[in-house]
Amino acid sequence: MKKKPAKKKTALKKPSVRSKKPVQPEPSLPPMSLSFDGTLATKTGTWRYLTPAYLNKLAPCNEGCPAGEDVEAAMVLSGQEDYIGAWEKITQENPLPRVCGRVCFHPCEGSCNRKEYDEPTAINALERFVGDIAFQAGKRFSLPAEKKNEKVAVVGSGPAGLSCAYHLASLGYGVTLFEALPRLGGMLRYGIPAYRLPKDVLDQEIDQILALGVESRTNCRVGKDVKWEELKKYDVAFVAAGAWRSLPLRVPGENSLGVMSGVTFLKKVNSGEKVDLGQRVAIIGGGNTAMDAARSALRLGAEPLIIYRRTKEEMPAWEEEISEAEEEKIDFIFLTSPVNILSENGKVKGIECIKNLLGPPGKDGRREPRPIENSNFALPVDSVISAIGEAPDLSFLPPELQKSKDAIPVDEAGATSLEKVFAGGDIVAQPRTVSYAIGSGKKAAMAIDAVLRGKNAAEAIRLARWGDKGSLSMARYRSGGGDGIAQEVVKFSELNTAYFPRQSRKAKERLSLEERTKGFSEITRGFPKASALFEAKRCFNCGVCNLCDNCFFFCPDMAISARPDKQGYEINYDYCKGCCICVEECPRGAISIEVKK
Amino acid sequence: MKGIQPQAKELLDEYLHSGHGACPGCAMPVVLRTIFHALGEKTIAAITAGCFGTISGTYPVSPIKIPAYNTPFPSAGAAGSGIRAALDVKGDTETTVVAVAGDGGTFDIGIQAISAAAERNDDYIFICYDNEAYMNTGIQRSSATPWGAWTTTTPPSELKAQPKKDIVQIMAAHHIPYVATASIAYPDDFVRKIRKAKETRGFKFIYTLSPCPVGWRFPSEITIRLARLAVQTKVFPLYEVEDGEHYTLSVEPEEIPVKEYLKPQGRFNFLREGDMERIQENVDREWERLMRRF
Amino acid sequence: MKKLLTGNSAISLGVMLCRAEVISAYPITPQTTIVEELSEIVADGRLKARFIRVESEHSALACVAAASAAGARVFTATSSHGLAYMHEMLHWTSGTRLPVVMVNANRSIGSPWNIWCDHSDSLSQRDTGWVQLYCQSAQEALDTVIQAFKIAEEVLLPVMVLEDGFFLSHTSEVVDVPEQKAVDSFLPPFQPRFKLSPEEPHTFNIMADPSMFINFKHEAQQAMNQAKKVIARVDREFKAHFGRGYGYTGNVRMTDADVVLLTMGTAASTALEVIDAFRKQGKKVGLCRLRMFRPFPSEEVGRLLGKAKKVAVLDRDNSLGAGGIVAQELKAALYGAVKKPRIFEFIAGLGGRDITPEVIGEVFNYTMSHSSPNGAPVWMGVKK
Repeated sequence: MKKKPAKKKTALKKPSVRSKKPVQPEPSLPPMSLSFDGTLATKTGTWRYLTPAYLNKLAPCNEGCPAGEDVEAAMVLSGQEDYIGAWEKITQENPLPRVCGRVCFHPCEGSCNRKEYDEPTAINALERFVGDIAFQAGKRFSLPAEKKNEKVAVVGSGPAGLSCAYHLASLGYGVTLFEALPRLGGMLRYGIPAYRLPKDVLDQEIDQILALGVESRTNCRVGKDVKWEELKKYDVAFVAAGAWRSLPLRVPGENSLGVMSGVTFLKKVNSGEKVDLGQRVAIIGGGNTAMDAARSALRLGAEPLIIYRRTKEEMPAWEEEISEAEEEKIDFIFLTSPVNILSENGKVKGIECIKNLLGPPGKDGRREPRPIENSNFALPVDSVISAIGEAPDLSFLPPELQKSKDAIPVDEAGATSLEKVFAGGDIVAQPRTVSYAIGSGKKAAMAIDAVLRGKNAAEAIRLARWGDKGSLSMARYRSGGGDGIAQEVVKFSELNTAYFPRQSRKAKERLSLEERTKGFSEITRGFPKASALFEAKRCFNCGVCNLCDNCFFFCPDMAISARPDKQGYEINYDYCKGCCICVEECPRGAISIEVKK
Repeated sequence: MKGIQPQAKELLDEYLHSGHGACPGCAMPVVLRTIFHALGEKTIAAITAGCFGTISGTYPVSPIKIPAYNTPFPSAGAAGSGIRAALDVKGDTETTVVAVAGDGGTFDIGIQAISAAAERNDDYIFICYDNEAYMNTGIQRSSATPWGAWTTTTPPSELKAQPKKDIVQIMAAHHIPYVATASIAYPDDFVRKIRKAKETRGFKFIYTLSPCPVGWRFPSEITIRLARLAVQTKVFPLYEVEDGEHYTLSVEPEEIPVKEYLKPQGRFNFLREGDMERIQENVDREWERLMRRF
Repeated sequence: MKKLLTGNSAISLGVMLCRAEVISAYPITPQTTIVEELSEIVADGRLKARFIRVESEHSALACVAAASAAGARVFTATSSHGLAYMHEMLHWTSGTRLPVVMVNANRSIGSPWNIWCDHSDSLSQRDTGWVQLYCQSAQEALDTVIQAFKIAEEVLLPVMVLEDGFFLSHTSEVVDVPEQKAVDSFLPPFQPRFKLSPEEPHTFNIMADPSMFINFKHEAQQAMNQAKKVIARVDREFKAHFGRGYGYTGNVRMTDADVVLLTMGTAASTALEVIDAFRKQGKKVGLCRLRMFRPFPSEEVGRLLGKAKKVAVLDRDNSLGAGGIVAQELKAALYGAVKKPRIFEFIAGLGGRDITPEVIGEVFNYTMSHSSPNGAPVWMGVKK
């Protein structure tokens, strides 16, 4: 096949096709039937009965994030290698990406539409990557543009308190954190072991928040070191004291030496204190606290045994926690409850247990364990850690503040029954996770700002909603609801997966099993850059245009063109015939059909 | 503009105006946009009767921005040769000549002239956009209509009883330098092939499927999806044939049964028991036959 | 330079001298040697042109029409079935106002198969909007080809140059072939106002709806009216340039003729000796050879024939159900004339049947011996 020699590529100059004006014939009619102009006078838009439109729909990950992060935007920017931009998007909502990227249970991944196609995008790992890379690049929070006069007291410096403090400080308010324990961080420091969340990372994250001018008073327990009345000097208070009171086992011998609560145990370990567990330690419980306690005990040289009253499937701890504990060869026994702690000279020497079977579901919908008669057996143990649940200590609160059995009741704005007092985090009735706590701290900040600025808090928070699962966006709050993103969440069926090759996701790299249990070094490594980019690009970018050009290219009527600001496309409704090819071929459901009325 | 931009979708100028009369969701304007994007403004098109001819304009307006020449139905092949000859004799080696015809103007009434142009190896590109029937006159059957399809001249009691004519083999048998099948669902590949044709001397034949919502009876938004499915189900394989001998596959098909492609099309609603299986067998057999040529 | 040439050869040289740029070729007896000779002329380099060997006559015309739209000077030749095959393209070419020049070697159209001369092929295409000029000699054919390009390119209508198949195409005579320089100064290069060009894009032949179509056709009619004047002018210029002119009609002894023979093509030259013979007998006969058939020279023919008492129209064609086409056109042309001769219609020479001096003699005798025609045309030489 003959080929012409390659011609030199000329630069893409403005073609003269566009500048050709229609040529008028000299006589009034040309000799033959020729065209002299284009067909733009025919407004084929009148043919339409379905109208496509760019509705920036909400991505399910945004709705699924209890901390209200714009996960979607962070993915888009990461996919463009703008990690700093992604960090800015995340920290607009959540000041603790390096924390969440290590400890969050990532419901975003559970909501991810990619899950229905191959595997969800590794959002959690990417959040960590973005947080770490921004920190290494020296990115810190910017000081607020203007300072406001009001001052807010935040009781508790766990994730809820830190989040509230951060958002209020960013809004320009003066904030003081009251922390009962020696250092800031709450459960982040004293509950979560270093192998999941290194202490230096936590310190760095907290320092950034403090650098916004947040004051803190540690070793300062409200109700003991400082009276409740003192808080009235502040314009508003936010109570986020958490849930630190371990639920008792209610078995004989639970006061023996060598029995301690999971919370107490972890507090000690995370403070660097030595704890003598002996050789064998039984951990009662199936939640995250129990897993953390068991794995910490392992690293202290003991042999942990997890005793749980239901089966593995019912364990409330996160799957990753359970599977990592299994990998570390920690023993589990299921369908077993303690009935007696055996002691000698007041010190634990063993534990008597009974086997259970699962009966019908109880009030909470979970199948109730029923002890099997005469199935008792005893195990020799040197210590017992009870981690069957925690409740808040509400005793420091004033009597006027309405309380329920194990929580402070709050309205949809996080307001308590006392004016100017808000509450959030584990002290209110909500799922006990870091991201929910961060979310509630943000909600309180919004409510406080609304109240102090004379706005209707409930309304302002309603406008800040992202989707229907309670997620709130500070960006949306600040813009009064006008961020151009719809409330409808993009469903998997609205995507066009033909444009995405099937790709398994990158797994997190972890220390070898040997390395892991030697001490408290962080188990999980961060993504290398290539993996981060790969995962960011796996994100479908649900509901938001990322300039892929499909709609532009496939429109048979040339009715779609780049917007003048080049940040998206626009439809020329004079010509759009409503064929809706654009809707179908948009890989990410950023174009939807409006029905013409 | 930022974004994921493969070569095909550089935002070049348009060579077609909005306001043309194609049906909503018609694939043909997408075919034309792709071709003209790839060829640029130094192009002259010969158009013949068919859907493209019908939308080519009513005095004094036309949606086409490059020079174009309407010629009667059988003569796309001859007109392309004539325009090329005129340019050659005037010493113009830069302008590309392209003749565009539908399946009628290529497979049936036009086959004589196109065969002659191919045999003479006249230097221009012939593009056939196949919507698998005489759509412009109201969905009558052509030799490109697939087996089992309803058309207005193959009613349910007498559906198309012959397989589709294999135009690619016919053209390849002329031993022209370049024959290729292309699809609007694979725009990069399409543009690459058009540009390759432009750089090749001699007669080039590009054959593309043009799904027709009105004639095939499907909702207008799935035009591109059907074009893609046709390739994925091996009904419309994408490949190139050089000099009539060297076959290159452009896109690997997937293991998708042909019924996924046929189901959304109302024109296949009248297939009887066992017909779908026959079609699948036929597609598989044709695929094997094609593969033996590689 | 004088050469002994057949009609076809003369035509080929004419095309060469006119510097045609794109030529399409499809053989059909008896035009074939035109395209054969042109293929050699182009291959030798005597003419810088593109020679396209098409696969059918429809393509032959479609091809050169498109080339003409792209601004090239074009030529093709055909006959009989070939002309019929390109029928829709004849309309198209005229409607697109393309100055295509085509030679048609007149031949009958089957069935039955017949390769010899009659005028039914071109006359049955008289409504397609082409100028039609009928030649009677090889010299006239060559000269008319040169005139045809000039006429066509000025009025933007295609021109068909007719020669009798075999009688003219294949017989030789002495032809004065003009010099290239002389033709170049007579016929400038083709420079159309509108053509296919990326510099000035248009879409050609877009639909004209009911509000516009009639306007285009009216324009074309105006052009055809204009063509009449242009044909006369070009012929005068040609005469001034080359010393030969032909007019709309070739008239012999018309000034005082009572009985006129009106015919087209080579039969006219056969009539010359018959007219001489009758004149010697004192019969006032004359010959009017119709050269320009489209546009029909109604006024001129009316003037010429007004003085005659009788006209014998010799049609080398027949329109089944109506009669000889030239006769019909003539009657229509003379309908409005004040002085009308009686018109006697004759059908002769179909399918190459020779029109001999005897046949022409019979035609005259019949005409002179009958006071009026008896209605139906008289068919010459039909075997009983």
